[in-house]
Amino acid sequence: MNTVTLKRDGSILSDEKTVETDPLVCLSYQVDLNEDYILRSFFRMLEKHSLLAKLNVFFPSYMEQYLACPDDNCKTENIDHLELRKTVEMIGFPGEPRLEIYNSFQGIRGDESCEIRSLQFDSLLDMPVKLGKLKHMVFGDKVDIFEFDTVFTLFEFIDGIAWELSFHVAPTECALRR
Amino acid sequence: MFDKILFATTASPICKDAADVAFDLAKKYDSQLTVFHVFALPTHGFSQFAEDLKTGQKVEHDDEWAKRVTEEMRSTFADNLAEAENYEVEAVVGAPHREILRAARAKDIDLIVMGSHTRQEDTAATRFRSVVGNTMQKVAKAARCPVLIVSRPCQTCWWYFSNIVFGTDFSKASHSAFKFALNTARQIGCKLYLFHACDIGATDPGKVRTQADIEEKVKEARKKMEELYLPELEGFDNYEIDIWEGTPYVEILKYARDKQADLVVMAHHTREIDPEKAVLGSTVEQVVLRSACPVASVNRPDKVAAS
Repeated sequence: MNTVTLKRDGSILSDEKTVETDPLVCLSYQVDLNEDYILRSFFRMLEKHSLLAKLNVFFPSYMEQYLACPDDNCKTENIDHLELRKTVEMIGFPGEPRLEIYNSFQGIRGDESCEIRSLQFDSLLDMPVKLGKLKHMVFGDKVDIFEFDTVFTLFEFIDGIAWELSFHVAPTECALRR
Repeated sequence: MFDKILFATTASPICKDAADVAFDLAKKYDSQLTVFHVFALPTHGFSQFAEDLKTGQKVEHDDEWAKRVTEEMRSTFADNLAEAENYEVEAVVGAPHREILRAARAKDIDLIVMGSHTRQEDTAATRFRSVVGNTMQKVAKAARCPVLIVSRPCQTCWWYFSNIVFGTDFSKASHSAFKFALNTARQIGCKLYLFHACDIGATDPGKVRTQADIEEKVKEARKKMEELYLPELEGFDNYEIDIWEGTPYVEILKYARDKQADLVVMAHHTREIDPEKAVLGSTVEQVVLRSACPVASVNRPDKVAAS
């Protein structure tokens, strides 16, 4: 399987060459992240390859927010790093039994995962991003969760982060007006 | 403002955010609050056997079972109930949306409060699950009274609302939503934002629009907004009109964030999308899932005037 490596500065490497013009051919390639990859690198990538920013309707608004953020130190102590995970879940009830496969982008603190939507966007930009494992959940039972190594394509990587960020709204300020 | 409030719940911790809002509202308006839970689905007709909606098990249903569920509800919402005065706790057997609507009609409810999910959701799993609101969708579409959907902790709640965003598609149902938004803004004394998103792509698919075309559309929408809603403001001057272009749910969410909205009021979209075909249904459902503040869905004029 072809592989692309995503670098901290937002560039995409394929076959050890930097992808300059057409990132779309790389969407099905397996993705590999540099050790020092952070969420800001993801937005740098979208900045360099504006075509990729068209993959989700919320990217333009997040690009605006990203550009308005400070250049560094956008961190939080609430999580250790961000992680993209894949889940295969067998569900028996409610409804007809079914199998669902989805990617989720979460914050990790110690061994625990947590949702990031209540954290401020500008506190996440400089947090490390890692690729996680595949969880196999059987009939929604937390006891029957198995973990496996897996791979993500570039499309899954972009789409998984975009989907989670689309739920990301900073808590509303209580601005008393009258 | 709301004499009777019905809080429709799955009686699980996932409804905590909605519960806080429902109890808070009842406290503020001294409303009679019904905490309502549908716990089982009859297997057929008048069968004595019902399917437990949490476990899927078939159980013979009787008053004892309902009593046990009611006790469970009291323990789940013990903190809220401790401070409440005028309330009742009710657990029934039936199809959830039908029973909620039936109870709302029978009790002449002014506002239904509910969460957006019936189970704990991972946002990533949301797109695969029409459960994102099967009950919420059906209740919001058919209810005669406004339905307040709460999917996140409400920071400000009804006490301290500063900004209400009303999103319109100029439909008849939107007019009812407007009246509700206006009444609420007037009552609370907060700012009302009247908002419309011009979905340029959806009007003539495939047609490439010039900037002048888009500006013309925006101008038309503003004129329509002014003609439809301004005469009804009757002295209420704390408002702002905005027209943006783009995908409606995206723009409403961006706008709500921009204005630090405490409440979004919308009609359940009139351009129907078959919920079986669309993983996430209409604009209002997309907004509900992602909005940081509660969303009120209003479709009928009935309880709006009363409010």
